[in-house]
Amino acid sequence: MRALVIDDSRAMRRIVASILEGFGYETRPAGHGREALDVLEEGWVPDLACIDWNMPVMDGLQFVSAVRAVPAWRQVTLMMVTTESEHGQIVKALAAGAHEYVIKPFTADAIGDKLSLLGLMPVPA
Amino acid sequence: MSAPITALLDGETVTAVAGEVWSALVGEEEFLLPGLGPVAPAVDGPSAWVTVTGPWDGVVVLTCAASGTADLTRSVLQLDDDEQPTAEDVEDVLRELANILGGNVKSLLPGPSALGLPETGPAPLRAEDADTCRVSASWRGHPLAITVQGASEAPAHPTTEVPK
Repeated sequence: MRALVIDDSRAMRRIVASILEGFGYETRPAGHGREALDVLEEGWVPDLACIDWNMPVMDGLQFVSAVRAVPAWRQVTLMMVTTESEHGQIVKALAAGAHEYVIKPFTADAIGDKLSLLGLMPVPA
Repeated sequence: MSAPITALLDGETVTAVAGEVWSALVGEEEFLLPGLGPVAPAVDGPSAWVTVTGPWDGVVVLTCAASGTADLTRSVLQLDDDEQPTAEDVEDVLRELANILGGNVKSLLPGPSALGLPETGPAPLRAEDADTCRVSASWRGHPLAITVQGASEAPAHPTTEVPK
């Protein structure tokens, strides 16, 4: 399974990617929404995108809306991984097309639980 | 105008938030020891901060003693003990810690509020004491300070989004 990790913090990209790779994912990083769209447009369409909210150039909410506007990318599961924890923000992200929401700080177990709920926990070979 | 931060938050709450952030990001076995005494001593080191814009306007600032920044970066990035992190990595780690601290502090304030993008550099100017909540702590013996301060004297920073 493939995951795109979108966060303007290299540290956070590394932490999220390390957790996902521990679960068996192949990952690719992107520093903001526009860079992530470039990855999709080049044909690397992941099963999962983990998306920060506050980023320069294109924020997470704009990225979610952009992905949802393209039918060919409908199978990508979108999970917000963000410090934005206000109820209104969560509702806004889900309304835009995000499937799940993880609030920072998180643990590897919290990410694993969400993936299991989404049916996206890779089965060991 | 909103109430000053001292009417909205206390140091104990900020310390608890920081402790949770630390164990999740720095390591499960890594603990922040709260500072002793009513006056937080000055910390000589780099700062990272995020702005909060909403009913309460201000900044959440993390300052880490220069002696601890490399260790902190190695822990967050899980680098080897003998690996020297780059200055870029150090700033990135401080920014992300401030970002998560700021987001969690924001969740305790009246909303809706918007969080700015994290920045690093010299700490923003202090607001009046009545609109400042400052706690000190230490990690592996390195002093740290977390300051939640009103925007009265802090520089204005753009936010990525202002919730309606």
